[in-house]
Amino acid sequence: MIMTEGKIILPAYKLAYAFSFVVILSLIRGITFSYEIGVAMEAPMAVLAMVFCADTYTQEITSKRSEIHRLYPIQRRLSSLGMRMVIQEITLFVLSAIGYGMFYGFQHPQSLSKAGQSTESELQMFFIFLAAIAVTLWFWGILANLLACLFRNMWVGIGCGIALWLVTNSTLGNNVLGNWNLFSYAFRNVMDSRDFRWLYGKAFCLLLCVWMTLLTPNIIRKRG
Amino acid sequence: MSIKINDLTVTFKNKVTAINHANLEIPNGIFGLLGENGAGKTTLMRVLTTVLAPTGGTVSMNGILYCEENYPKIQRQIGYLPQEIDLYPGLTVQECLEYMGDLAGVPKEECRKRIQYYLEKTSLTEHRKKKMRQLSGGMKRRVGLVQALLNEPEFLIVDEPTTGLDPEERIRIRNLLVDFSENRTVLFSTHVVEDLAAVCSRLAVMKKGQFLYAGSMKELIRTAKGHVWICRLRDEAQAREVEKKYHISSKQLSEDGIQIKLISDEMPDMDCVSVEPTLEDAYIYISGQQA
Repeated sequence: MIMTEGKIILPAYKLAYAFSFVVILSLIRGITFSYEIGVAMEAPMAVLAMVFCADTYTQEITSKRSEIHRLYPIQRRLSSLGMRMVIQEITLFVLSAIGYGMFYGFQHPQSLSKAGQSTESELQMFFIFLAAIAVTLWFWGILANLLACLFRNMWVGIGCGIALWLVTNSTLGNNVLGNWNLFSYAFRNVMDSRDFRWLYGKAFCLLLCVWMTLLTPNIIRKRG
Repeated sequence: MSIKINDLTVTFKNKVTAINHANLEIPNGIFGLLGENGAGKTTLMRVLTTVLAPTGGTVSMNGILYCEENYPKIQRQIGYLPQEIDLYPGLTVQECLEYMGDLAGVPKEECRKRIQYYLEKTSLTEHRKKKMRQLSGGMKRRVGLVQALLNEPEFLIVDEPTTGLDPEERIRIRNLLVDFSENRTVLFSTHVVEDLAAVCSRLAVMKKGQFLYAGSMKELIRTAKGHVWICRLRDEAQAREVEKKYHISSKQLSEDGIQIKLISDEMPDMDCVSVEPTLEDAYIYISGQQA
């Protein structure tokens, strides 16, 4: 079942554009220091997550398969949808980790810890990035899918998600929401590695993720 | 299995009424649904599959009323082949059917057996390892039909199941549906009158959201008796004149002129003979009567 879901939700073209996106990002987004990699990746990866996940269920609608899916037991439909989301999120997470490495490979950033100007090691920075990006990917992926299911259109899902992305990934969003911003990791004080107040924003994201996950069954039931 | 439709009305948000106070009872066996494009056939099937909720009236299956709380019970008993469907292009036929069988809750081993059986019945066994995107339109249609049969539904709804099939395949599919309909209900919607004539004994004719006729096929044909005529015409000019006055159900060119079959309540004022009506003639007759 997982293999079949993987084949359905990860066609070659999707993997190709996602990988190309990460390669291009790591080539054209200039950085000087290694601590900038996470900042450079978080917001663009959120856009990729939205585009990647928006068709998780809406592909059933556009192909008219949803009319048959409606006849299946709701638990099986939800488990299929959940499996698809997990497969996509893992793919995006792995791509993010590869992208992080690509920044190193292509741009050879300077390391503050090696210069003795930071207590945070490169590995530590990498693991913190992984934790932050996992939440970011989950949030933006599930948001796009939820909105797409609600409006039965993946482009509306992506469009609404982009609108929220533009607001929160801006100086205005940072000034208004501060540490509670959805992009709190990208806006964190990178010079102070002991300042973990950006975790509030990620905790808020997690809370919204749980809420959206609980909301999805109702939307599928009513709109699916 | 019996489906009862009482005073059913479906009105869309744009105020278009697709089904207008319709009443119908669908008994066991194959039940045909005939009607022009836009008559409301697909809307009716969408209501019966619980995809669409009616705006008025009631529908019941074996006494179980169609309503939100009964939907799971009803849905378990339905198999559906929509008019247009694009099954997973990246999966093979076997994978696609196993996946859909799994979603429908059919146990794995049982599902494999049924897939093998229906693939044989639909002449798809040799194509089971082909990707869905590699199949022709007719083959995709057959796979669509197999997926609808996988959970052995009590009520099978098929919308244009023979579209894109060659004559031999059409006969196979029709026979498969006849075999399947034993002790079950099959709602067979099509434009191909010939298909219905071959498999159904009862049918309904829809027009503008209402049933013009519902009952036995023999009775429908009987209503057209004495209203179907064959005339021989000299040339195209005369044929055009006749077409203006009457419903023409067929037209044939021959060496000694043009032979037409027309529908008329009274004997046309030309050289013609009354003939036995076919289902197609009866359909045209009843559609014209209500126009």
